[in-house]
Amino acid sequence: MMREREAGERRAAVPAGYFVAFGIIGVLVLLPHVITTPYYLHLLILVLLYVALSSAWNLAGGFAGQLSLGHAGFFGIGAYASTLLFLNFGLSPWIGMVVGVLLAVVAGAAIGYPCFRLRGPFFALATLAFGEVLRVIAISWRDLTQGSNGLSIPFKPGFANMMWQGKEMFFYVVLVYALVAVGIVWKIERSRLGYYLIALKEDDSAARMLGIDTTRCKLYAMLISAALTAVGGVFYAQYVGFIEPYSVFDVNQSIQFALISIIGGLGTVFGPVLGAFIMIPLSEMLRAAFGGAARGFHLVLYGIILMAVVMLLPQGVSQELKDRYKRWSRARQSAISRRKGQADAT
Amino acid sequence: MLLEVKELTRTFGGLVAVRDVSFGIESGEIVGLIGPNGAGKTTLFNLVTGFLPPTRGDVQFEGRRISGLLPNRVCHRGIGRTFQMVKPFGNMTTLRNAMVGTFFRDPDPRRAKRAAEEILEFLGLARCREALAKNLTIADRKRLEVARALGTQPKLLLLDETMAGLNPTEVADMLGLLREIRTRGTTLFVIEHIMAAIMAISDRILVLHNGGLITQGPPRQVANDQAVIDAYLGERYLIA
Repeated sequence: MMREREAGERRAAVPAGYFVAFGIIGVLVLLPHVITTPYYLHLLILVLLYVALSSAWNLAGGFAGQLSLGHAGFFGIGAYASTLLFLNFGLSPWIGMVVGVLLAVVAGAAIGYPCFRLRGPFFALATLAFGEVLRVIAISWRDLTQGSNGLSIPFKPGFANMMWQGKEMFFYVVLVYALVAVGIVWKIERSRLGYYLIALKEDDSAARMLGIDTTRCKLYAMLISAALTAVGGVFYAQYVGFIEPYSVFDVNQSIQFALISIIGGLGTVFGPVLGAFIMIPLSEMLRAAFGGAARGFHLVLYGIILMAVVMLLPQGVSQELKDRYKRWSRARQSAISRRKGQADAT
Repeated sequence: MLLEVKELTRTFGGLVAVRDVSFGIESGEIVGLIGPNGAGKTTLFNLVTGFLPPTRGDVQFEGRRISGLLPNRVCHRGIGRTFQMVKPFGNMTTLRNAMVGTFFRDPDPRRAKRAAEEILEFLGLARCREALAKNLTIADRKRLEVARALGTQPKLLLLDETMAGLNPTEVADMLGLLREIRTRGTTLFVIEHIMAAIMAISDRILVLHNGGLITQGPPRQVANDQAVIDAYLGERYLIA
C-alpha cells in the first residue's frame, strides 16, 4: 500500500517538474515579443547573465564551500581573451570563447590547487588577491590591453562576431547560456560529484575516510566554475562592446556573484536563479528611484535590504520557499484527511 | 595477516603518544583495543588510517605498506573507520549520508541509493532516512557513522567508541550488528570503554597504556592480567 503510493507519487512528480521547467523556458523564449522596451529587455539580459555567473560561482562557493572572491578574474580572462583575439587577429568570439575558457581553467587550477588547503577567510583572501593581481596586470600591460583606457569592440553585427542589431538575439544567447549553466549545476547536484562536494564541505576528514579525494573534487568544481564564468565574460564583452580592467576585473563583480548565491541559497540549484531575479532588478530599481536624490543613497538602501535578508533568511530565499511549501502542503494534507475523517464519521 | 603494525611510534614534540607498538590482526577477527584515556588509542587509529604519518615504524595491509598514504587512499585499500567524535554530514539527510559511502562502490546514483537503503535497513536507520543527520539522536548518529563506513564495503573496519553514550539496550543492539557485520566478511578493530561490551564481542584484546602495548590476548586472560588491572581496570573485572 505504502509502496504503491510512493511509486505513484514518484510517477506524478517527474512530469510535473518537467512541465514547470518547460513552462518557464517557454515563457522566457516568448518574453522578447512581449517586452519590447529595450530597457526592460536589457534588465532581463543582465538578470540571466547573473543567473549563469552566480550558478557558476555557486558550484565552487556553495556546493564545495570554497568561498571565492576572485571569480572576477575568470570573468575578465574570458572577456579579454576573446576581445584581444578579435581585435588583433579577427578571430570570432566563439573561438575566443574556447580560448578564454581554457585559460580560465588553467588559472582556476593554478589558484585552486595551492589554495584549497587554506580554510575559510584565508581561501577567500587568496582568491581576492588573484583577481586583483589580474586587474593590475590588465592595467599595467598597456601594449596588450591599452591599460585603463580599455578596449572597444567595433560594432560589426553578425553571428560570427557574436553581435546583433537590437537586443533580442543577445537575449536568446544569454538565455541558452543561463540554461546550460543551471542545467550543468542541476546535473552535478544529482551526480556522485554533487554528493561528494556537499560531504566534503560538511566534513573534510569524514569525506576522506569514505575514499573521497577531496582536493580533486574541489578542483573539478573550481574548474567547471571557472570555465562557465569565462563564458559569461565573453558574452559581456560582446554585449557591452567595451571592456576595461575596472569593470571586468572588479572585485565587486566577485562579490556580486557571491551575494546573489548567498541571498538565493548557497549550494542549491535554484538559489542563484532566484537571487539574480531578485537582486539585479532590485538594485536597478533602487538606482532609478533614488539614484538622483542623494549620491550613494540607493547603495545604502541596497545594503540595508541585503542585511535584512541575510538576517531573516540565513538559509537563503530558495530554502525558505521550500520550507514554506512543505509546511503548506503538510497543512493541506492534514486538512484533507481531517475532512475525510469527518465525512467517514457522519 | 590482514593488518600488520610494526614498531609504530608517534611523537608530538616531546610527548610520545604511541610507542613501539607491534601487533597483527587476522582476517575475520574481532579485535578490541582498550586503555585509559590518553593511552593513544585514537592516535593509533589515526596512524593506521592515514590521518597522521607515523614518526617511526610501519603499517601493512594485506602485505602492502599503507603508512604514509592519505585517508582516501587507505579507504581504497579496503579500510573503513568511524570517528569517536561523530562526524555526520549534518545538513544532508540520513539516506544521503549513507549514499556518500555507497557511491564509493558505484557511481550510479540509483544503485548507490538502493545500496544505502539496504544498509540503513540493516542498521535500523530506515525510519529516519529523510531526517537531517544533525537532528538524529546520538545513538542514531553513531549508527550512521557505521552505515557510512559500511557503504565502502571495507575488509577491515575500525570502530572508535561506537557504543559510548548508548543505553544498555542500544549497546546490546550494536553488539548484535557488529557480529552480523563480521559474519558478512568484515574484520573489526574496536576501541571501546564499555568493558562488558568489549569483553563480550572480542576474540582478542589489546591493551594500550601510555602509548605502549602492555598486553594482548583473549578477553578472559586480559581481564586477569595484573598490569591491566593496575593500569586500567582498577579491580579484578569479573566476566559473568
